[in-house]
Amino acid sequence: MRVVTRKTDLVESLAIVNKAVSSRSSIQVLSGVLLDCMGEVPTLSATDMEISLRAPLAGRVEETGSLVLPARILTDIAKSLPAGEVTIEQKPGESQVEVRSKESFFSLHSIAPTDFPQFPVFPLEQGFEVEKAAFLQTIDRVAPSASRDETRPVLTGVLIHVSKNSVKMVATDSYRLSVMETPIEASVADKVQAIVPARSLLELSRIGASNPAERIHIVPTSNQVLFEVGGVRLISRLIDGQFPNYRQLLPESFDYEVVVDKAEFLEVVHRVGLLAQKSAPVRLRFEPNTLTVAAESQDLGRARESVPIKYDGEVLEIGFNPEFVVAGAAAVDGDSVVLRFISPLRPGLIKGVADDDFLYLIMPIRLTD
Amino acid sequence: MFGYADEVSYRVIAHLDLDAFFASVEENVDPSLRDKPVIVGGGERGVVSTCNYIARRYGVHSAMPMRTARRLCPQAVVLSGDHRLYAQYSRRFSDILDEYSPLIEKVGIDEAFVDLTGTEQLFGPVIRTCRTMQRRVQEDLGLSVSVGLATNKLVAKVASDFQKPHGFTVVRPGDEAGFLAPLPVERLPGVGPAMLSQLRDRGVVTVGDLAVVPQRLLMLSFGEVGEVLARRARGEDPRAVTPREVVKSISRETTFEEDTTDTALLESTLLRLTEDVCRRLRRQRLEARTVTVKIRYSDFITNTRSRTLRRPLDVDEAFFREVLDLFREGRQRRYRIRLVGVGLSNLVPRAWQDDLFDQELPLLRDLDLKLDAIREKYGRNAIRRGAAEE
Repeated sequence: MRVVTRKTDLVESLAIVNKAVSSRSSIQVLSGVLLDCMGEVPTLSATDMEISLRAPLAGRVEETGSLVLPARILTDIAKSLPAGEVTIEQKPGESQVEVRSKESFFSLHSIAPTDFPQFPVFPLEQGFEVEKAAFLQTIDRVAPSASRDETRPVLTGVLIHVSKNSVKMVATDSYRLSVMETPIEASVADKVQAIVPARSLLELSRIGASNPAERIHIVPTSNQVLFEVGGVRLISRLIDGQFPNYRQLLPESFDYEVVVDKAEFLEVVHRVGLLAQKSAPVRLRFEPNTLTVAAESQDLGRARESVPIKYDGEVLEIGFNPEFVVAGAAAVDGDSVVLRFISPLRPGLIKGVADDDFLYLIMPIRLTD
Repeated sequence: MFGYADEVSYRVIAHLDLDAFFASVEENVDPSLRDKPVIVGGGERGVVSTCNYIARRYGVHSAMPMRTARRLCPQAVVLSGDHRLYAQYSRRFSDILDEYSPLIEKVGIDEAFVDLTGTEQLFGPVIRTCRTMQRRVQEDLGLSVSVGLATNKLVAKVASDFQKPHGFTVVRPGDEAGFLAPLPVERLPGVGPAMLSQLRDRGVVTVGDLAVVPQRLLMLSFGEVGEVLARRARGEDPRAVTPREVVKSISRETTFEEDTTDTALLESTLLRLTEDVCRRLRRQRLEARTVTVKIRYSDFITNTRSRTLRRPLDVDEAFFREVLDLFREGRQRRYRIRLVGVGLSNLVPRAWQDDLFDQELPLLRDLDLKLDAIREKYGRNAIRRGAAEE
């Protein structure tokens, strides 16, 4: 097998697929990247069995074939090579792979490609397309609320619901919940629903953001889903299970409502939140015309800051994890943020002023003994 | 250290044990008690928590039922004890030790291990440092403390007990086994009445007797405990002095007066222990994710089982079902059970983060806080859940 590419193209394609290279797997082949030059366009693939990524590699195939190289060292080599052409070649009957560029010469031990997991074949014609920008924006605003704790797998996923004219995503780590419904044109015949690992979606967002394509092709099957954007394919396993009934978690009414300036609120909570370490909360105290944000950590000290607000209701003091507050307010579209509460022990809601499409529900932290 | 210059490979560990702690504090408060027998105890458990040395002459000792103690020494002054005051004294005791080493491990309220390794450069010879600590506890707190100094925790502890009260015993490196050998075997920590009678049946009276029993035989009789026992008999103890500030786990266990197969008793005991460890967890403002249940059978075979919650919590209710499940899964033999224990680990600072999927959590926290307040005031057993009754 022999392929000639350029340093920049090799580095770029590797950067895409490297996110699927397994970092801790004991299965050696999963720490490798598959360079496939059997078809017209050479491709690079990697998989950690949860996500598989395949990206085209710009270059010309001079001799067909495929090989697997350790991703880590290949990436380090590619980055360090001088600009210009790079040739990757495996001579027939040899296990060594040569990587050459100008006067540089590397001979690497390769991994047997027969062990590399087959990239699943998807019936592309059965999928549908959505508009990229709106889909990715929905991911970016919802997926960060998913749990990173594997003890409840279903919460590490995002519930996606696609219909002809909208996509809805829901994610929760059981401390906060994000829901967003985005009007979107989808070439879908019927409704489609699945729980996709948040990690896969955030990966898709990363790939999609650096890609000029305008649409994403999606092919769901019973246990996997394929996303294709600008020639890059991401295949993710789906999460099996029952997503919690989030609708019943959304309170029907709230007793307190405050509108704050988004930029100022974010800044103050972030600043005061510096002293809310080791699970300590930030305290939000709403009183007529003033919001006071305060935090205290035993080992560090205290912080407090007041900002003028338009509010004439009763005094309310409520505690939150500052990270969750910041994440919720930052995900709101527009210059102002609406905060709604019921009591210091009931969920609060963060949303935009004229925007009911995105809702962020957040559970408080108990403040008093 | 120990006056030799070149033995840098040893650790130097002191064990300080306050003599008749509660009674001595009471004597400080009311000096007229000094020449009378004083017993502190009664209350919730109906046993002696401590007594002064005069009472001990009448045969009274800690853990003895109150009724027996009163019979042996009818003229004794019996006090129910002021635990807040004892805690204050205990803190001042630690504050003194803190000045001599960063590695202090408090054991209960009235003992502490101090790792003095390498402190000579700051404070001079270790023996002198120990004398200073003993003198300061006497002068600053008006309390007598016994000191044991050795190369490990086990020997230091036995040494502090060697010449109580106000003892000062130094066991030099290499002398550990020789120091322990003539002592009765029950002086070794971990040798309780049941094990003692089994050992006596085999003709083991002193630690020296135990040291010559092959480890293999001890393991046959006592399981994994046997291995530890063999090591202790040789005066070896690899445990490090671990400062209490980094609490890694909170646990409590109970040895039954008589080994039992009574499921109701076993389960209510486990729930009581769960209440106790959860309360300690809350006191330390921590939350736990992992709960462990320990079962020791009459033949000393011990089974432990753990489970990890999906999130850290500090409410009793969160651990009850886990504890019972673990016990039911873990109890796989028909043997009588000698001991059960409950431990919490995977500890994190308390967050009190409420949960979307557990709307009862704030109510359970309210309940626990109210129960804690009652117990703080009236004692641990003042209020118990029905299922955790004694």
